[in-house]
Amino acid sequence: MFPSLRTFCLIASTACLSAVPAFAKDSVPDWVRAAMTQPQPKFRAEDPAAVLLDETVLTVGSDGRATEHHRHVVKILRPAGRDEGVVAVPFDNDRKLLSLHIWSVGPDGHEYAMKDSEIAEFGLPGEGGQLYVDERYKVANPPGRDPGGIVAYEYEVRSRPYVNEETWFFQSELPGVKQSFTLQLPAGYTYRAVWAHHDKTEAVDLERQRWRWEMNDMPAIDLEDVPLHPSTVAIAGRMTVHYGPSGTDQLGTWQGVGQWYNDLSRARLAASPEIAAKAAELTQGKTDFFDKAEAIGEFAQKGIRYFVIERGIGGDQPHPAADIFRNRYGDCKDKATLLASMLSTVGIHATWVLVDTRRGAVDPSAPSTYGNHAIAAIEIPAGYNSPKLRSVVTAKSGKRYLIFDPTWEKTAFGQLEWNLQGGYGILVEAGASEVIALPVLKPESNTLYRTASFQLQPDGELKGSVVVKSFGDLSESSRDMYSRQTLKEQTDNRNRTLGHDLSTFTVSDVKVENVEALNKELTTSYTLDAEHFARSMGALLMVRPRVLGTDGIYVDRKPRSMPIDLKEAKLEKDEFSIELPPGYAVDELPDPVKLDLGFAAYESSTTLSGNKLHYTRTYTVREVTLPADRYADVQKLAATIDADEKNSAVFKKQ
Amino acid sequence: MLQISYRQLYRLALFLLLAPLCARAQFTDPTPAELSMTSLPQAPGAPAVYLFYEQMSDGDNFMTSVYVRLKVLTEKGKDYGNVELPYYWADSYMSVDSISGRTIHADGTIVPLKEKAYAKMVEKNVDGKVMEKIFSMPSVEVGSILEYRFKVHFGYTPAWRIQSQLYILKAHYNWRPHSGSTNAIEWVSRLPNGAELNHGEVPGAGLTASRKFFDLTVADIPPAPNEEYMPPLDSFTYRVLFYYHSATSKEEFWRTQGRVWSKDLDQYIGPHDGVKAATRQLVSPSDTEEAKLRKIYASVMGMENTDFTREHTTAEDRAAGLKKIKTTDDVLARKSGDRNELARLFVAMARAAGLKAYVMRVVNRDHNLFSASYVDFRQLDDDIAIVDIDGKERYFDPGQRLCDFGHLAWKHTRAGGIRQTEKDTQLAQTPGESYKSSNVKRIGDLQMDEHGEVTGKLDLSFTGDPALHWRQVALRGDDTSLNKALRESLEAMIPQGLEVRVTGVDGIAEYDNPLAVHYEVSGMAGSSTGRRLLMPADLFRAQARPTFSAKQRTLPVYFHYTSITQDAIRITFPSTMKIESLPAKEDILYKKIATYNVSADQTPTTYTVRRNMALGDILFQPADYPELLSFYNKLETKDQEPVVLVHADAGAGAKPGR
Repeated sequence: MFPSLRTFCLIASTACLSAVPAFAKDSVPDWVRAAMTQPQPKFRAEDPAAVLLDETVLTVGSDGRATEHHRHVVKILRPAGRDEGVVAVPFDNDRKLLSLHIWSVGPDGHEYAMKDSEIAEFGLPGEGGQLYVDERYKVANPPGRDPGGIVAYEYEVRSRPYVNEETWFFQSELPGVKQSFTLQLPAGYTYRAVWAHHDKTEAVDLERQRWRWEMNDMPAIDLEDVPLHPSTVAIAGRMTVHYGPSGTDQLGTWQGVGQWYNDLSRARLAASPEIAAKAAELTQGKTDFFDKAEAIGEFAQKGIRYFVIERGIGGDQPHPAADIFRNRYGDCKDKATLLASMLSTVGIHATWVLVDTRRGAVDPSAPSTYGNHAIAAIEIPAGYNSPKLRSVVTAKSGKRYLIFDPTWEKTAFGQLEWNLQGGYGILVEAGASEVIALPVLKPESNTLYRTASFQLQPDGELKGSVVVKSFGDLSESSRDMYSRQTLKEQTDNRNRTLGHDLSTFTVSDVKVENVEALNKELTTSYTLDAEHFARSMGALLMVRPRVLGTDGIYVDRKPRSMPIDLKEAKLEKDEFSIELPPGYAVDELPDPVKLDLGFAAYESSTTLSGNKLHYTRTYTVREVTLPADRYADVQKLAATIDADEKNSAVFKKQ
Repeated sequence: MLQISYRQLYRLALFLLLAPLCARAQFTDPTPAELSMTSLPQAPGAPAVYLFYEQMSDGDNFMTSVYVRLKVLTEKGKDYGNVELPYYWADSYMSVDSISGRTIHADGTIVPLKEKAYAKMVEKNVDGKVMEKIFSMPSVEVGSILEYRFKVHFGYTPAWRIQSQLYILKAHYNWRPHSGSTNAIEWVSRLPNGAELNHGEVPGAGLTASRKFFDLTVADIPPAPNEEYMPPLDSFTYRVLFYYHSATSKEEFWRTQGRVWSKDLDQYIGPHDGVKAATRQLVSPSDTEEAKLRKIYASVMGMENTDFTREHTTAEDRAAGLKKIKTTDDVLARKSGDRNELARLFVAMARAAGLKAYVMRVVNRDHNLFSASYVDFRQLDDDIAIVDIDGKERYFDPGQRLCDFGHLAWKHTRAGGIRQTEKDTQLAQTPGESYKSSNVKRIGDLQMDEHGEVTGKLDLSFTGDPALHWRQVALRGDDTSLNKALRESLEAMIPQGLEVRVTGVDGIAEYDNPLAVHYEVSGMAGSSTGRRLLMPADLFRAQARPTFSAKQRTLPVYFHYTSITQDAIRITFPSTMKIESLPAKEDILYKKIATYNVSADQTPTTYTVRRNMALGDILFQPADYPELLSFYNKLETKDQEPVVLVHADAGAGAKPGR
């Protein structure tokens, strides 16, 4: 089962231009007709389409290999729903597509059956890193795909031979009317079903090793206009069924999932002499655990080019460490593998952590392999402590691990990128595997400090110098810009950012330090000349103390039911001073602001000392996810920041 | 018995002669300067640079060989270590092979490319499939030189698109066309100063036939520029595009090919019996010429334009009893067609009504500009219509559904192409539109309470291209999607924090009338200093960003269309407040091409701000940029002047609360 892929609409439309017409036996099967004629709930005006039927039957053979039979009927409700009627069935070399049949019914009631020759096949384009990927899609653009029309399809696909679980996604961006999942097991097999983001639902026992779950009238998850929303996969309900011979150890547990990945991948860690030599070279003269691990971690992070290599079992299993090292390229699991392999040669144990970059996608109550990323857990020697170890997890065994992602090229060793913080991952340690909560780092690990000293000219022009220091995720985009963009692109980007706060300005004398030194503050300094910064309105001179830098949060006024995702814990500080031109006296200064909501705090003050206006503010975010009932506090925080950022000091000409 | 021709013998001899040389010349030893290079002064921050690029095409062997030497300068430059070579595969029609390469580190260490290229299927249908050969250079580091070769087996006429994303220190192109071709070869080129295309013919000798050749060496080619509001990229990058043709001159090509095009078109257009009959039903002999055409235009505009819905499949056509479209009668029978089919139907019906009507095929200005020197019909995109009304030719765009009668969508204005005339064809350019045609009026009438919160109505009206934009948004969606897009459009203009609701849309399908959109807004629009309230003078410009961020310019500034925007906002505030300051009246002019003015007036409880901005041209040369930039800087600075309100009892230190 899979979602309709909007991205295939364009290519499918061109692919089907040359299709051979189909007009024989154009009649839909009875199960399609039944889905069309069943009572339907009233759909929302925003729903582009509705799933009338989604039916999966998973049949496991006596050899443990599963075959999935799937039926899907979708009704187009709005013009935007035409995309939902594009059929795109994925398969690859290990996940063979055995059959596919597609039907449609136009709004006028005419029925169509598509021929095989009308179905195109697409591979994933290489752009975006999907380079060595054997995943392909059978794609079709059924006729009659207009509002009121119906698209139905049925396919059968063999599951991958080395997998013993299947996940049923019963909630998506479309409402689902009638949905079911049926499991057929051979004699002597058993199963365990686990539920993510949804209460457990009991299966109907159909006897003879056959069970069915139903999930009807499921509302759509529509996050399009919801500010600060979590990922759809972090809230959409799904069920994973694990199956295996009765007595299978740890079936459907995190330990079992970790053991499965361990068995699949552990041999790939074998270090070649070249790997050992490189690790020795990198750690030569280093005795401290952190120093040694950092040297090797940064090599895996920066020295191995990232792109996706997923062919057959290679979608799950890493490549041998020796191959990765020789070619100096690999995907996320390859990078984690090489890191662990290299560390093993200098006496440091490391292993994989399977995660998902969409916070909340991995549900600790639903063990499965579901996820899209692999990172590393590096075991910290007992008794070793260092303030540089910021992303630390303690396993049930009592062992401590530093969690590090060698794929994230701009994250300092010792830290973890923002989108993994607050989520969960599977620590792969053979029989000691477990699900672990990934830490939310302290705000002090993710900082942005802006300091500036300006002189205001009588005509309103502002001149001065600015220093911006950033660390952690808040430095990532700038580090990326300075390491990957041309000078012109850097200039254009900087101008675009400053253009949020200033209209006519010139930046000069730009200096940047520590772009590649991830464990040091990225420091950018420049001279700024902003014309017409202060506004003369008659005898008044209006000056915005918050000269630059926007921390605003977009919120709406609608009732909130979705959890709130604040993205990242952080600490931002601004300190600006503006020397005023002679002849002006203060008429009005903004009031100080102080707000502490627990999950975040904001304070600012504007003072006058002699002829210098001083503005300081501190903005701290401590938590990354909040329940929906805290939305009023988030609105209050947003309003406070917005008002403070717009505030002006007023001076009068003497 | 194996037959072998003289030509094959010649090829074999040539191969044997050249093979050892090729083997020797597989790769080039890097110079010390190349190894130690860390940046390129001509392109600061460039991710990589082509040290050398070579493309050699041999028409007799249907083969092009490519040789690349690329130096990686930054982390981003490492991305060039992945190479994807797409090719179209149908019965061995095209292939890519002979891939070899090596990575040379800055210290001179050589790592050969050993991994076999991955053949990846990208697209497959009944006609064939598109494949990619993918390979990744090994051990790529910042400072590495990536060197690789490959061959493409395909007999095509080369198109040398010289300028790329990267700086090119040196490049060499060579083409030896098929020796059996008798057609003339022409080319259109845009080359840097000093570069010259060498061409001629090498005389044959013995068994060897004479061969034409084209050869070009270029050096120090900067990356293709990327600037704000620049003309379509395809219109100005360095390139040499070859083509075969039998005409003796460019003029003759357009004349002869134009006649063929026009003849085929007229057979399609007719008018045939169906169109004639329908037109007779539609118009009255007593109608004026314009009245007739308006009826025809309305009729065509009422048909389904599949560019805005979706193209129907052959199966659907068969189910509906429709046959393949061969003439405008078939389009009429369907009451549906794409932009060109509907444009031609419009011309057919105009002709059936007794009017002189012609098709013009233009290059869409949103992606390219017409070049008469490039004698290739494929550069032309869309059909528009020209109709003689009362002795005057007027231009129509019936393929752009809901375009105003007698107007063109902006991408078809000032666009070059070829048109039919009474007895022939000719190259032509469509007219531009007056700035008055594309008019946006934004009217606000809001009431402010004592806390500074505003509520009220904003009414926007559109004509010309802005109206066409929204009408076509509506055609592609429904009321829900249109209202959402309209709401988001306004939210992106007015102060953040204002709640927006679309209360009505008038004239969405009435192309001859202005489109009107009505909103209600509420919330905090200004900022408080304590005693004072600062309101953005023009709410519609509250989130405006500078139009230009660059101080210098190498390319002309290119706007899509001329326009005028007129804003008027009235705020009624409580009697407990008074105005302390309003923006002073100001007029700013740019060479009589662009004008801006703002003014404000007040009563004891209201203030009204009016702002007008008109742009009268679309193209500004780089030499004009400083003055144009100054114009925009001035007006954008002026736009930021707030209205200052103060509480009437401000002297007592009263502050607005929330």
